[in-house]
Amino acid sequence: MSDLDDFKATYFDECSELLTELEEQFAAIEGGDRTSDRLNAVFRAIHSIKGGGGAFGFSELVAFAHAYETLLDHVRDGRIELNEPVTALCIRANDIVADFVNAAKSGTSLGAGYGADERHQFDALTSGNAPAANSTADGDDESGPPVDEFDIDFVPVMVNLEAVGPVPPAEETAMDDNFAAAPLVADKAQWEIRFAPHSELYARANDPLLLFRELANLGELTVVARLNEIPPLADFEPFGIYCTWDLTLVSPTATAAQIAEVFEFVEGNCDLSIVPLAPRLAAGRAEPSLADLAAIVTPDAAEAPAETISFADLADAVKKDMPKRAPPAAAPAAPVAKLLKPAEIATDPAPSMAAEEDDRRTGPEDRRGAGVQSIRVDLDKVDRVVNMVGELVITQSMLTQQMDDTLRARYQELVRGLEVLAQTTRGLQDAVMAIRAQPVKSVFSRMPRLVRELAQKTGKKIKLETIGEATEIDKTVIEQLSDPLTHMIRNSADHGIESPEKRKSLGKPEIGTIRLSAEQAGGNILIAVEDDGGGINRERVLEVARNKGIVAVDTTPTDEQIDQLIFAPGFSTAETVSDISGRGVGMDVVLSNIKKIGGSVHVKSRTGQGTRMTLRLPLTLAVLDVMLVKVGGSPYVIPLSSIVETIQCSRADFGRAPSGAKVLRVRGEYVQVVDLATRFQMLSDADLGNRFVVLCEAEGGVKIALIVDDIIGQQQVVIKSLEENFESIDGIAGGTILGDGNVALIVDVQGLKATKLHKNAA
Amino acid sequence: MRVLTVDDSRTILAMLHHTLSNAGFEVLQAEDGQKGLDVLASEDVDVVITDINMPVMDGIEFIKHVRASGEHNSLPILILTTETSQDKRDQGRAAGGTGWIVKPFDPEKLISVIHRVVH
Repeated sequence: MSDLDDFKATYFDECSELLTELEEQFAAIEGGDRTSDRLNAVFRAIHSIKGGGGAFGFSELVAFAHAYETLLDHVRDGRIELNEPVTALCIRANDIVADFVNAAKSGTSLGAGYGADERHQFDALTSGNAPAANSTADGDDESGPPVDEFDIDFVPVMVNLEAVGPVPPAEETAMDDNFAAAPLVADKAQWEIRFAPHSELYARANDPLLLFRELANLGELTVVARLNEIPPLADFEPFGIYCTWDLTLVSPTATAAQIAEVFEFVEGNCDLSIVPLAPRLAAGRAEPSLADLAAIVTPDAAEAPAETISFADLADAVKKDMPKRAPPAAAPAAPVAKLLKPAEIATDPAPSMAAEEDDRRTGPEDRRGAGVQSIRVDLDKVDRVVNMVGELVITQSMLTQQMDDTLRARYQELVRGLEVLAQTTRGLQDAVMAIRAQPVKSVFSRMPRLVRELAQKTGKKIKLETIGEATEIDKTVIEQLSDPLTHMIRNSADHGIESPEKRKSLGKPEIGTIRLSAEQAGGNILIAVEDDGGGINRERVLEVARNKGIVAVDTTPTDEQIDQLIFAPGFSTAETVSDISGRGVGMDVVLSNIKKIGGSVHVKSRTGQGTRMTLRLPLTLAVLDVMLVKVGGSPYVIPLSSIVETIQCSRADFGRAPSGAKVLRVRGEYVQVVDLATRFQMLSDADLGNRFVVLCEAEGGVKIALIVDDIIGQQQVVIKSLEENFESIDGIAGGTILGDGNVALIVDVQGLKATKLHKNAA
Repeated sequence: MRVLTVDDSRTILAMLHHTLSNAGFEVLQAEDGQKGLDVLASEDVDVVITDINMPVMDGIEFIKHVRASGEHNSLPILILTTETSQDKRDQGRAAGGTGWIVKPFDPEKLISVIHRVVH
């Protein structure tokens, strides 16, 4: 990746954080908190987006952000009131900025007219003749001039990062009024410059010597110090300003603008005149002497006549004789002390060399990155570490397994070492996973905009509440979360929340609420989308499911089972296909996406009160705590997170349900039985006696009893995808390599339960 | 030569770091004025480049604090700003800023401006 790409990646990361911050700030502003801190934060965010965008030449983005920033500046100053229409305009503008950022990221253009309405409103507001900000500028005639024609007061410059070389000649810039009288290019080769600094010049750490050095880069410079203002010692103020200079610059190429630029930073802090002169011979000057120099540093030599010495002579003389008399370099900004510094110029003619030399002196070991608190690391690199840690976990568990009792007794030191290794491996694993973990905020922050758009399209009033944004999940899980959450929220807005009229008639608040929450529960992250709408219409769902053959006509599923039907492939109850949700591909996609990342979906609905859909997601993707079991002689693993308990049962504990399905009675409760040996077609019908039962809980609290031949123990495994390495198998969530090198399959508890239901139903 | 860069934008900090370290500078970073002061309290630097708009403590306040301490009277401070409007720049100078760099900065220009204010 080139440096520029690297910076772009940083920029887009930063943009997405800033856009998130904008969402948050405006959520608070909408809630009535209009403190200047918030407005400043909003201004800064747009300002930073614009600033970075300028560096990369994203002109459409910069032009819009600039206009928006101007509005925000007015709002910040109180020139424009942040009333409801202006707030609404800003929120739209944020969305447009986000669109521009995305376009810049994908290298596309949104076209000149994009955001033109909003820009017209910014302009109208900031120019004072504001129409109501909520009046929509309609019609093509309002679309405004193309982006290029908008006047912005700076031109974005593409940064050429490769071109850092020696100091170039100063480029020509616009001249200040002071110098407007001087011709741009001198047809005469000589300039007379009179320079008298004020005390502010020194207070701002400007240094006449540096100005002279820069002037000397433009041509041959002669410096004459006027010292007749230096008072007698008794009256001498160490920080007083007594020295002024007359300079003569002989240069065939220097322009007034170049000379003016040298004094750019001290404008207003000095008396300055720059006058072009006719060329004349530089010969005939008085020879410089150490006496001249003594005159400079000896206060009582105030009467010494001003003599002309060349810059190089001055530096030479100082180098030869003055260092021992020079005050320490760290002395405060006293003009006299400044004068003694030319020694440095003489020894370091090229500034870049000076930098190098300093560098060598400091040495790399001295380089402390003070203030640096984070580094950016390529995700691939982290993933390599994750993979290797995974392999380490396997090796570690393999070593532990090799230790039989005889070995344990004989090599106690080794056993202790292995225990420490196990602990360290576990710690390493947690640490690596923490690197990949990110707050769900990055996904949640995209949802307010979605809800606003949905509310607009459906004509419903919806507010979004978010809880637990700081909850952290694996980055890959987060990336896979956006689509399912979008679907779920669309579903809530489209099918859940009722129209304002209907809500009113039901005695509910007109504004519907969608609550998005995240929390950690054990080894899982629970993400819930909850609405206070009408709940799932079960009659209708069952009717559709029966019509579509998803459920057999003669079965009567429980309410919970009916609710789960909305995740069945091809199921959709939308009576009219809207462009929001209900195209028939919907919740089944959510389910398959979530299953892909090792999670599950549970829905709970109460008629008239709302629906809650919960995603249960693994904390990390790569490593799983499992119970190792044996079925038909082969090893299988069951995720520990879904196991409730293990029981040893006798034949008498099993029975048959009226449907013919096997059930197990556990403390008075009948639980559906899945014999893994039969299920995976290793045995036709095994004897249930003297085998082990692993009682698992699938989503929605439904328990199923898995029958296994033997329970071997608990361990951690690294998940390997079956789809990638083999093919997808019903009832199996993946594979893993055990410590002894054998492959074990991971039982998909949720999948077993789901297929069971369908089997019964069919 | 050590440069302290103070900016709340990671992008700008990264670009400054790249440009400056390529040119042989040692680069220190701080995300706002307060953190900039913290760095100055414990580190010797030869020049400071600071943004204006920052959370916690903005660039103007930062410069005022640096100058007020009296310890850094001769420390050059360059103001990094996109504001071409004169007033921010003037505020920065009035607070004690030595010079300024207009964003988006050109790397060559950046280096040459630094050499204009440091020995």
